[in-house]
Amino acid sequence: MTVNPWILISGMAIVTYLPRMLPMLVLSKRTIPEKLAKWMSFIPVSIFSALIFSDIFFWAGSLNGDPFTNLKLIPSILTAAIAYYTKSLLWSMVAGVASLSLFIYLS
Amino acid sequence: MMKRKDWQDGFRIIFPVVLGYIPLGLACGMLLYDSGFSIVAILLMSLFVFAGAAQFMTASMVVMGATTPTIIMMVFFLNLRHLLMSSSLSKFFKNSSVPFILLFSHTLADEAYAVNYNQFQNHKWSEHQALATNLSAYITWALSTVVGGWMGSALMIDITIMNYVLIAMFIALLINQLVSKLFVVVGLAAGILSVVLMELLHHNIALVIAAIIASFFGYLIDKYLDEKKMKEVHIK
Repeated sequence: MTVNPWILISGMAIVTYLPRMLPMLVLSKRTIPEKLAKWMSFIPVSIFSALIFSDIFFWAGSLNGDPFTNLKLIPSILTAAIAYYTKSLLWSMVAGVASLSLFIYLS
Repeated sequence: MMKRKDWQDGFRIIFPVVLGYIPLGLACGMLLYDSGFSIVAILLMSLFVFAGAAQFMTASMVVMGATTPTIIMMVFFLNLRHLLMSSSLSKFFKNSSVPFILLFSHTLADEAYAVNYNQFQNHKWSEHQALATNLSAYITWALSTVVGGWMGSALMIDITIMNYVLIAMFIALLINQLVSKLFVVVGLAAGILSVVLMELLHHNIALVIAAIIASFFGYLIDKYLDEKKMKEVHIK
């Protein structure tokens, strides 16, 4: 491992605690500026989307949009479909991971 | 002080979620162990960071050789969503003490937030019942990751599949957040931008840049749509 785990965990602890704690502590008295709140409302979707796309469209380190060689693409569609219809985090993950495992095993 | 009844109420309401935390926590613990974290580090991370998605991401970023500042920055952006949850819960804690808020907010998580918000809004719900709800999820998560870390050494799983556990989780979380067409557009913009920037920069900072640009783009479209609506109302 190239990183120092204690420094990493300390940094992570600070950056995860502040967004949880500050609004509850401060906002019982006032509210966030509307523009900032609006911008922030798009952050979760953007960050998840960036994480997903930048992972599933790369296979063995290079850009690959072919569902026959990039085995992550079809399981991702399946995961999304199951999440949409069942709203279950666990079952969507099970479906995605199981289908990818099967594809890798068969290839 | 918290009564036995508060613990029972909190645990009962979060129980279905807690069941789902166990396999997730096990998988997360295994990934963290395999990426080089000791069992003690896994325990401390779960107790002090307590962020499922961020912990999964840390494991895969460490494996990919990301630097400490990059990981911390990604964790920060990933967890910025708690800013909104914390803001929306604040109205239920107007009479709570500062130490209580300091403890409660540390255990704030997506699922417990959703449950508590609903309870406060639609039922009779106290700060102690809410804290018991959070702590039930918190303790289950920490124990599951530690057990997962302990099992980690015993299991050999393909690294691509291990990483995909995280991606599948993100896909499910993303789908549940697509509440309007605008969010779908912003999500697609962020996704495409991240792939392009990743190909150009070959660095994880591409994700942060893509997310900031796309969320600002969403803000601008939203503002444009609002102004257009205002004008139409004016003309009528």
